[in-house]
Amino acid sequence: MIEEPYRWVEAIANRREYIEGQLAPGSPIAALGYREGILFVTLGQTRQKLFEIYDRIAMGAIGHPGDIERLRMGAIELASAEGFTRSAADVSLRRLVHYSLSPVMKTAFEQVYGPPYLTRMLFAEVGARPEEDLFLRVEYDGEIASNGATYARARQDFAVLSGTRQSVELMEAFLKSEHKPDAKFETVVNSALDAWSIGHMLLQASEAKELPARDAIAQHRQEQLAIAAIEAAVLERDSGRPIRYRSLADKELRSIISQ
Amino acid sequence: MDRSQLGYDQNFSGAADDFPSLLRRKGLLGPAAIGPMPQSATQQQMWQPTESTTILAFKFSGSVLVAGDRRATAGNTVVYDRADKVLEIDRHSIMAIAGVPATAWEMARVLEHSLQYFRRTQLQEMSVDGKVRALSKLLRDNFGFVIQGVGVVVPIFATYDGNSKPEARLYFYDAMGAQFEATDYAATGSGSPAVRGILYYENTWGAKPLHKLSEEEAVSLALRALDTAAESDTATAGVDRSGKIYPVIKIVSREGITTLPENKIAAVFNEMVA
Repeated sequence: MIEEPYRWVEAIANRREYIEGQLAPGSPIAALGYREGILFVTLGQTRQKLFEIYDRIAMGAIGHPGDIERLRMGAIELASAEGFTRSAADVSLRRLVHYSLSPVMKTAFEQVYGPPYLTRMLFAEVGARPEEDLFLRVEYDGEIASNGATYARARQDFAVLSGTRQSVELMEAFLKSEHKPDAKFETVVNSALDAWSIGHMLLQASEAKELPARDAIAQHRQEQLAIAAIEAAVLERDSGRPIRYRSLADKELRSIISQ
Repeated sequence: MDRSQLGYDQNFSGAADDFPSLLRRKGLLGPAAIGPMPQSATQQQMWQPTESTTILAFKFSGSVLVAGDRRATAGNTVVYDRADKVLEIDRHSIMAIAGVPATAWEMARVLEHSLQYFRRTQLQEMSVDGKVRALSKLLRDNFGFVIQGVGVVVPIFATYDGNSKPEARLYFYDAMGAQFEATDYAATGSGSPAVRGILYYENTWGAKPLHKLSEEEAVSLALRALDTAAESDTATAGVDRSGKIYPVIKIVSREGITTLPENKIAAVFNEMVA
């Protein structure tokens, strides 16, 4: 099969379609930078989706739990070994993703006789100032999307992850107009939940091209909050301690959610 | 398919691997011992390892106070007078060291990273027993150096157990890695005989037992004990009155670790000790 180039391209296309299909129902994750840090929010019922990777790095992921686990473990190993031999300041998300995770994922994806990683991941690294926050979304094929300012695009202080492309695009469109980097914590929690709701609505109505109406978002959000638990974590910008990751209990957030 | 770039194989299970074995797998942790040491007298005189001395810890008012003087010595020479021997391992744990700082600081670093690594990979805190055992294993791994007389480390480990029965816990070790849980106090290092004498006396016949002391009383007792140790042990600095160098004092309680600011220690010293 592989001897013919055409077959290889076909095999890759089939594989892409299969993986996209597997990832499509994944619950969205929103990560928003604000004055005091970076907030990760998602809703779910069972599996943990947000993880601490290192002192200033956190990860959210959707996909197959086994694949997420292997990549998560690899990322923690690399970061820990680097932080131990040099210093925590030398552990960089950019290097971790660009030089270690991405090549491995691309190789696994393109070797059509082996299994690919069935996962999509969102990493964030908190900086000393909001402008220094780094967000990287890594696809199952090793493709990386960053919040950094590239050509014809301004730097964003948020990043999202979802099952489908439309869902991601509309969540981003919403946050682009809604979210301010110097926002307060309460505001950010509510923007993140709204963004999650939009992403989640789009997973069910994948044909939609425009943002849903305000009251539809609010209603969807209320329905989902009634049946699912909030999973959230923050990377604190300046906690006076080297370890910035803190997971937030569902109860902690319920009290500050505006109805 | 080569997945070795990520440093694990297909059958990798995070639960089977602790942080020191990760370091060994990556070739980042030194061998357990160096080659045989030349035993000739001249060699022994030529080189002496830097050592640090006298740490103490005792429980009071539901917390543990850990204190250490600041001196590091090599033979008769004072190498450093601002050494920090009381090291924070995580939010609720302190490792205080007597012995060779080169080994001890590395050990503390491995231990600190081990606990973080465990929490991150296993998604839960390591139990107090697990932490105590992890340090014991590091000491055991270091025993080759101890036999060669170059890397003796005798630590104290103080932590707050927030689990089933919340209480402060205090352990001391021998150089081979045996752990002993202390009920009231522990002291190690060259100045420790004097300190143990004082703590035993205070606990048994003093105005009140150690566990009833207030924070200020505890701090003043720690300063007095270290100053007494320094009186007869040249390797212990106690309180440097002219240089205004005070011991490091940290307190572990339910809320976490508090490092006493120097001016507070100085105030207690001037009022109760000097």
